[in-house]
Amino acid sequence: MNLLEKVRKTIKEKYSGSVLGDESPMNTRLFIDIKPEKVREISNEIIDLGGRYLVGIGHDNIQRDGNIGMIHSFGFDNDDFIVLLRTAVPGDNPVLDSITPDIPGAGWSEREFMDLLGMTFTGHPKPKRLILADDWPEGIYPMRKEVPYNLVPPAAEDVAYQLDECPEGCSIIPVGPFHTALHEPEHFAVYVDGETIKGCDYRGFMTHRGIEKLCETEVSYNEIPFIAERICGICGSVHATAYAQAVEMAGDIKVPVRADYIRTLMLEIERLHSHLLWLGVAGHLIGFDTVFMQAWRIREHIMWLSERITGNRKTYGMVIVGGVRRDITPDIRADILKVINDVEKDLMVVHKSIIGDSAIHKRTKGVGYLSRESAIKWSLVGPVARARGIDIDVRRDHPYAAYRDVNFDVPVTDTCDVWGTLLVRLLEIYESNKIIRQVLDKMPDGPILTELDEVIPALNYGISVVEAPRGESVHFVITGEENRPDRWRVRAPTYPNLQGIPEMLLNDQFADFPIIVGSIDPCFSCTDRVEVVNIKSGSKGILSKSELEEISRRNK
Amino acid sequence: MEIVYVLINLVIFLALAPLFEGMVRKVTARVQSRMGPPLIQPYYDIIKLLGKENLTAGNVIFNFAPMMAFAAALSVVCFIPLGYKANFLTQYADVITIIYLLVLGGVAILLGALASKNTFAMVGASREMVTMIMVEPVLAMTFFVGAVKVKSLSIDSTVFSVMNNGFTWSAALMMVLYLMALQAFVGKQPFDIAEAEQEILEGPFVEYSGPNYALFKYSLMLKRMFYAALFVMVFVPFLHSGIYALDILLQLIGVAFVFLFIALIGSTNPRLRIDQAIRYYAVLIVMSLGAVGLSVYGI
Repeated sequence: MNLLEKVRKTIKEKYSGSVLGDESPMNTRLFIDIKPEKVREISNEIIDLGGRYLVGIGHDNIQRDGNIGMIHSFGFDNDDFIVLLRTAVPGDNPVLDSITPDIPGAGWSEREFMDLLGMTFTGHPKPKRLILADDWPEGIYPMRKEVPYNLVPPAAEDVAYQLDECPEGCSIIPVGPFHTALHEPEHFAVYVDGETIKGCDYRGFMTHRGIEKLCETEVSYNEIPFIAERICGICGSVHATAYAQAVEMAGDIKVPVRADYIRTLMLEIERLHSHLLWLGVAGHLIGFDTVFMQAWRIREHIMWLSERITGNRKTYGMVIVGGVRRDITPDIRADILKVINDVEKDLMVVHKSIIGDSAIHKRTKGVGYLSRESAIKWSLVGPVARARGIDIDVRRDHPYAAYRDVNFDVPVTDTCDVWGTLLVRLLEIYESNKIIRQVLDKMPDGPILTELDEVIPALNYGISVVEAPRGESVHFVITGEENRPDRWRVRAPTYPNLQGIPEMLLNDQFADFPIIVGSIDPCFSCTDRVEVVNIKSGSKGILSKSELEEISRRNK
Repeated sequence: MEIVYVLINLVIFLALAPLFEGMVRKVTARVQSRMGPPLIQPYYDIIKLLGKENLTAGNVIFNFAPMMAFAAALSVVCFIPLGYKANFLTQYADVITIIYLLVLGGVAILLGALASKNTFAMVGASREMVTMIMVEPVLAMTFFVGAVKVKSLSIDSTVFSVMNNGFTWSAALMMVLYLMALQAFVGKQPFDIAEAEQEILEGPFVEYSGPNYALFKYSLMLKRMFYAALFVMVFVPFLHSGIYALDILLQLIGVAFVFLFIALIGSTNPRLRIDQAIRYYAVLIVMSLGAVGLSVYGI
């Protein structure tokens, strides 16, 4: 009996009164419907069976059955399946037990739906606002279906961040919303005693523009990949692929093999550029600009390559539901191989000098320490987890696209610090090169796109995970009636990793703050899901500088 | 007529300090595979800053501090025997005066930081203070190694101790220590801890802009050039030819080499944390005390 059956059986036997049903549309997904009262016990049971908390998904179902649904999802990495725990609470009294006291990684997911759906999670240790602005009026829950996507409530004066109490004897150093170490608007209140960090509170989601809402109300299935791609300026392909795979799973759409290979190729090219970008930023954050400049010099060749393949340096626009939009020609193939070889050669020089540089060791070893147990507790993902001895990688554990057909290693270290994340990322660049070479070798001929001829049936569930450069991205889709998802939930890798930051910072020096936050390769925008889309009357136009200024002044 | 030599000192330092800064930037850019700004970019920077509006934090000390720092740097420049030739003012001061004036420049930065009442400036000020306390002793010992030899604290005899008496073991040790402390003297990586752009946003200078900031920048450039020139005067006496103009030229070439050294070290090191730096400084202080001890025994 495999583990999936064991989970199904254990839950059904132990909580027979609370389980309403289960289904397993494919052998890698298990949906269990439960009564809301037992959500905490059953979640704990799944964690005990070996599950890793992925993300919580709340969705408004009031118009259909008067309920608000809450889905907790768990990954089983050694056995390649995902368990989704479906439950629902009445829309007029959406109260559910919090699972955060036992599973801290669920903290943000639950807070998100307190803000967006007006749910209440009893026993949540920190029931404060997470996503909505501090001046957003009480009682308006944007993800409810009756709230229009373009609602703009009046701004309030004199609102301040509701931050935690500063510990006694400490002073506050405010970092952000604008700070050189951040690159994106977020606020950290860092509590320091002298220069030693004693605590930290986070207020983010400042660029939250509600693209999930937008995509559930305004656009169609095959427009979303392009919006999804713009969630992140660095790992856009990841989001487009994850979304497309979730829809393909929900609608049972078969993707041509060649398309899978091209997706894999683009994901790995993206990883190359992203890791080199991170390496540069990390150098900059410890005041080592030579590493910054050299890493970005190497990266530039990948940007040019991307431009030759897709027409864009970034935001490739390659992936849509059913396949990809551009093929790889023999010319491009030769080009890719040449660039990959050059990058590898250049990188070896940088790699060698970083490994041998004792000053870099001084700034990164033992810095941002977080034990393996804590990393599991916070369900950290990606290189941050792999630097702490947690051997997870979605590409190997839940293979998608063409990853089943290629051989690669997953570098893991157990230094539990910033140095470990640096090392893991460096080694992953070589693995990416390896994957790209295999993909180009094995890529079969054939079509690259399955046209969406048939209507995708409504109320099907799809969840897909994709290994972004910074960790695992989760996309969840419930199909809807109007050629668009009824619910689309994105969880970027920074979402769990950022929750572990306060513990990493504890008792480190303030001087190490930038590199510790940098070590998770934070992508705040992914977390915020920023999107600026002008959908007025479908007209497309380029705004001039003066027009932009005019708009920004008018809305002030 | 002797006063002319003081003016020559001032003119050379004021005219060339930004050039050496530009050189450091150019060399750094080359190491980083960049084109880099033009050599004379720091002049443009200063001129541009001087032409901007002077924003203040609303108190007198905030405006007074940059002037104090600039004045202190200029005063130091007046006293030093550039071109291996003591000038009119040199006899009226001793090495204690030089150390005092250099500390005064640091104190001015502290005052400005505290007057700006910015959290990042405060952090920067405390780092600046620690750096000053830990690094100035190394400078003092440099003078004392020479002073013990000639049994005088006057500037010219102390500075020219190596030139007149030749290298001793203690002087050689001191030279190595001076080079090891040089990045901290000039506030470049790995010891640009007080300014640390990525952590505390230029620290003490975070609130400064316009002419006030230009004065701080200029005084820092003067200070850097002073430390480079001091190294050449004390430890590279064989550039001495006896012809005043030629001596100055040779000395400036020496200074250029010191700046090349600064740029190369600065561009190949990350910034250290203040706690790591303190440990490093402590070793330097103990060893420089050792050098003074050796010189007492005439070694």
